[in-house]
Parts: sequence; C-alpha cells; structure tokens
Amino acid sequence: MNASQTAKTPYQLKLFPILTILGWILIMLALIIGLVVLTPTAINYFGANSKEVRDAAEAGSQLLSQISILASIPLWLEPLTFLGVAFFICGIALEFSVIPSLVKMRGDAMAKAFPLIVKLGS
Amino acid sequence: MQEQKSSFPFNMVERMMPMYPAIAVMGWMFVLIAFLVGLYALSPAQTAFFSDAKAVREGATIGSVFVNANLSSHALEAWLPQFKFFGLGLGLLAIVMALGTIAKRLRNMGQVIFTQLPENMRPAMPPPPKQVKVFQLSALMGIMVLLVVLIIGIVLAVGVVSGYWNNSIANELNPAQPGSALLSQLSVVSSYFYWLNPLRMIGMASLFTAISVALYVIIGTLRTQTRLLTGLVQKAG
Repeated sequence: MNASQTAKTPYQLKLFPILTILGWILIMLALIIGLVVLTPTAINYFGANSKEVRDAAEAGSQLLSQISILASIPLWLEPLTFLGVAFFICGIALEFSVIPSLVKMRGDAMAKAFPLIVKLGS
Repeated sequence: MQEQKSSFPFNMVERMMPMYPAIAVMGWMFVLIAFLVGLYALSPAQTAFFSDAKAVREGATIGSVFVNANLSSHALEAWLPQFKFFGLGLGLLAIVMALGTIAKRLRNMGQVIFTQLPENMRPAMPPPPKQVKVFQLSALMGIMVLLVVLIIGIVLAVGVVSGYWNNSIANELNPAQPGSALLSQLSVVSSYFYWLNPLRMIGMASLFTAISVALYVIIGTLRTQTRLLTGLVQKAG
C-alpha cells in the first residue's frame, strides 16, 4: 500500500452527498406541496362550504376540482417522500461499503508501522 | 490521555454520546407503546364505531358509545403516528450517538499510538473535523423537530380534534354552516396532516443526514490514520 492508494477518493464518497441532497430535495418538495397546495385547498374546501354544498357539487365546479386535488396528490406525494428517505438510505449504505476496505488498509499500515513504533518508542 | 474539551452545547452532546444503548431501548419502547395503543385502544374504538348501521352511528348523540368511539379513534390518530415517529427518531439518534462514539474512540486510539513515538518523529495531531459539529447539530435538530411534531399532535388531539368529533355527526357536524365554529374546526382537522406529516419527515431527514456525516467522519479518521502511519513508515525508511 502506498500514499496514493489512501489519497484516492472512492466513488461511493463522491456519490453519497448527491444522494443526500436528492433526499432533502424530495422531502422539502413534499413539505412545500403540503403547505402551499394541499393545506390551503383543504381549508377552503372543508372550512368554507357546508356538507350539503360539498355533496351537491356539479361536474366542472371548483369544489370537485378541489376534492380531486385532495384525493389524488397525496397518493403520489407520500411515496415521493419515501423515495427521498430511500436516497438517504442508499447514501448511508454506500458509505458503509467503503469502511471494510479502509479498515483493512489501516490494519496493513499499522502492521508495517508497529515494529517501527515499538523500536522508536523503546 | 488528555481529551480536547468542546464548547457548549457540544460538550453536553459528547458526554451523552455513550448513552446510545439507553436511547435505542427508549426508542424501541416508544414504538412498542404505539403498537399496544393501536392494538388495545385504536382498533377497539374503530370496531365499536362500525358495529352498527351508518344511520345509527351518525345519528348517535354526544356521550353515546358511537360518538365516544369516533372521538377516541380520531384523537388517537392525531398523536399516535407522531409518537411512533418520535420513537423511530430516537432509534436513529442512538445510531448517530454510536457512530460518534466510534469516531471519538478511533481518534483517541490514534492519539495513544502516536504518543509512543519520540516527539521529533510524532506527526502533528490533526484537529477534530468540522463535520463532527455538523452531525451533532443535525441529530439535535432532527430529534427536536420530531418532538415539536409530537407536541403539535398532542395539542391537536386534545384540542381541535376532540372538540370537533365530540358531536353528533348527523345532528351537529353535517348541518354546520360556513362561518360556524364547527366548520373552522373541520378545516383544521382535515388539513393539519398535509403539513405535519412532511414536517416529521424533515426531522427524519436531519437524522439520516447526521448518520451520513458521522460515517463520513469515521471514514475520514480511518483515511487520515492510514496516511499518517504510511507517512511514518516512508519517513523512517
């Protein structure tokens, strides 16, 4: 083993920050859609209309488009959030995959340095 | 071996790092309690509510079995998922603390080895990486966000959610008109989870980021020690 081997950055260490950032982007996107689209739509749909009016909504009305937003967006938004979590987990797994070879390299370096440390220390 | 002292609040965080087994057990207990509450409270409440025809359960008056069962299940659903995620968050926090402890022990081990060398041969000890503070802060932020989400869930459960569902569906909730207190409560009850659920995922994301950065610190420590040991052999040779 030489110094260049230890200095070379494995591809996993270049990839994991990208996966972490992607995870953050997807989770922030879910929060923004929840705050900006779903919450105001739900407040308006449920808070400004009686049940009678909501149930009598006709095709093409604003009420039906609001309920279709509330019924459909969460169906893909939640899996999108978990896709973000999956990016984080993939990044963590990539980092773990580097550790065994690093421990081996450190062990090899220690094996070579140990007799020298004992000699110099005595 | 003299350890470097960190400033507040990092010194407090570092003192707590070896407590990770207790935190992991606590997290597991939170998730277990969530399961038991689901099994012994939420599920029976739903069973009780759906034990009769729609007209009967919706026409039931305040204080009846049906209104109470409906109230219990909605109130539980407001705080129980947040409670469960707080437990999962504690589990992730325990992982971060364990990784932090490993990183610190690795550093101490390197220090012990290099102090065996004569001073003129001893490599300069690199300062602790800045990422240590990043993962500590990220873990703290994550668990604080999950705690805040849990508190909001409990406040909603005992406040608006209980206030709204403690009414007869057919006689009071369904006839509510725009501008009434019941419809304002309904707007909160029907919308809070659209922002609260992603907010708790922000807490989880902070904890995952803390794990990533803590692993990066361990990797960095191993690489630095390998480089220093290799350099020592090359220098002597």
